[in-house]
Amino acid sequence: MQKLFNPKTICLVGATDRPGSVGFGIVKNLLQSKKKIYFVNPKKEKILNKKSYKRIQDIPENIDLCIIAVPAKYVIEIVNQAKEEINNLIIISAGFKEIGGIGERRQKELEKIVKENNINLIGPNCLGIIRGNLNASFAPATPKTGSIALISQSGALIDSIIDKSLDKLYGFSFIVSLGNQAGLKIEDFLEFADKDKKTKVISLYIEGVEDGRRLFNVLKQINKPIVILKGGKTDLGKKAVSSHTAALAGDSKIYSQAFKQSGAIEVNSIEELLDVSKALAWEPKIKNGIAIITNGGGAGILTADYCNDLKINLPDLSTGTLWNLRHKMLKTYSASNPVDIIGDADSKRYRDAINAILKQKNINGLIVIQTLQIMTDCLENAKIVVQAKAKYPQKAIVCAFLGGKITQKSIEHLEKNKIPNYSDPIRAVRAMRGLIK
Amino acid sequence: MLLDYSQTQKLLSKYNIPYIKSEIIRTESDLIKFSKKNKYPLVLKIDSKKILHKTEIGGVILDIKDKKTLLKSFKDIKKISRKYKSNIIIQKHINGINLIIGAKKDLTFGNIIIFGLGGIFTEVLNDTSMRLAPVNKQEIDSMIKEIKSYKILQGYRGKLVNIKKIQELILNLSNLIEKEDIQEIDFNPVIVNNKEIFVTDAKIIQS
Repeated sequence: MQKLFNPKTICLVGATDRPGSVGFGIVKNLLQSKKKIYFVNPKKEKILNKKSYKRIQDIPENIDLCIIAVPAKYVIEIVNQAKEEINNLIIISAGFKEIGGIGERRQKELEKIVKENNINLIGPNCLGIIRGNLNASFAPATPKTGSIALISQSGALIDSIIDKSLDKLYGFSFIVSLGNQAGLKIEDFLEFADKDKKTKVISLYIEGVEDGRRLFNVLKQINKPIVILKGGKTDLGKKAVSSHTAALAGDSKIYSQAFKQSGAIEVNSIEELLDVSKALAWEPKIKNGIAIITNGGGAGILTADYCNDLKINLPDLSTGTLWNLRHKMLKTYSASNPVDIIGDADSKRYRDAINAILKQKNINGLIVIQTLQIMTDCLENAKIVVQAKAKYPQKAIVCAFLGGKITQKSIEHLEKNKIPNYSDPIRAVRAMRGLIK
Repeated sequence: MLLDYSQTQKLLSKYNIPYIKSEIIRTESDLIKFSKKNKYPLVLKIDSKKILHKTEIGGVILDIKDKKTLLKSFKDIKKISRKYKSNIIIQKHINGINLIIGAKKDLTFGNIIIFGLGGIFTEVLNDTSMRLAPVNKQEIDSMIKEIKSYKILQGYRGKLVNIKKIQELILNLSNLIEKEDIQEIDFNPVIVNNKEIFVTDAKIIQS
């Protein structure tokens, strides 16, 4: 699978310059990568001034990765004729198992060919893959690189996640759209991600699997954190599943239990999938026991409530911590956890509180909340958090700098330095929950 | 296919799962013999492969305290047993907290164990916990503690129960479902008190 994700030579069957087509989308994305690209289209001499070959077999070089994006009825013949030349294959084309009948028969035949010829196949009926600057898909853009591996049973969801991520500071180690899984299956990519040096966290969107026990066993063996969003949890959702990727959705309660029992983290929305993945990409996993520092009472109370709901412990401040803080805080500060350092807190007060609290042994993580008051120096506060992170790399720091335009610069500073910030305390607490072992 | 009374007894004893002392009875003299050997209170119920919900048709009479009630109950239940062509079972009645413990083979995920308190806790409030089998002691412990009604087992209103016995039973059930060709098992109820635990009714469906 290494060659599949890091090919030197690539060919695209179904390459075209027809605007609005899937083939043209892949052409554009492929040309941006620094790989050797060959186009195959029997009806064309040239595509975007590049030679087009009649058949895969005519290409004068070994091909590491072959991508096919032609109507389903031609796919089997193309694969069959070039089965000696193909090692790694992505079939974008739809019209297989998901349509039943003839499509199902096509998929069976395809499964047989790839098995007999030892071909790594992704798809059919998928968006493709993205790895570094290699964008072998018809996604609307190439996202930043980072340490989140995104594995999804829905291609369209990948498109939206990529777009959403473009103005953010997290990125992806690789993205794969599973499609109908006629060759490589979800478990193969989980195992690849676990070994992959670029991946720190695995984000999964799934609808249904045929062999849940196999998935469970593989999930249990993966060492890296896994965050899962499961679609098809209600009867209504289930209908959409069977017409979508032709997988059978199992009983959602069993899925949830299997995820939990395997040690994976299940989330309930796309936003939460990315929130928790971002935290796991940037922060260490910790033992339960965190503190909250806030300059706003209300935000602190909300955060404490959410922690209670999600069973996150808020240990009391030790006598040592209280002693360290005694002259540095206002008399009216709340000497408990959450620590309310009062609305008029300047950056020095933030620094003193953060340093004293992170020093306490049974506090393994910290949520720093900032509400915007007229005397609040957002950027300076962000810098203080970044410094604290450098001093305590084994503790998890998550921020909720609440606000908008004025706060934006400080949030960028936090995230550039890999400290996740969230626009609502509930999102920060859920992210923290994901970090707790 | 639903296992009958003696098949059920055999299977449970193979896996050390305690079933309340019971017997199939046909005549009044069987009835009296059992009542002399085993102290009151007693239970009479019908047993049929066809009937899944015997309480609803009046097929279970609990807490029979003396001979007079026993004879009267026997007459009543005989009518039902004739109507449904089923056996009659007599068993000891024990007091305690009712549990539902079950297992099934899921098409996608394989063997699964379910645990909850009996009656409304499971049927109305859906307060059950689940694990993929096989389960180890740690997982059994966490699944017992996971249900919201766990407080009741801990001794709410002074009724303490022997949690260790519940753990043993779940472990034995996990062994059973892993090894046997069984589609579904319902122990409902299992009765547990501070000393002992007994399955008092079992529905087992073979693959």
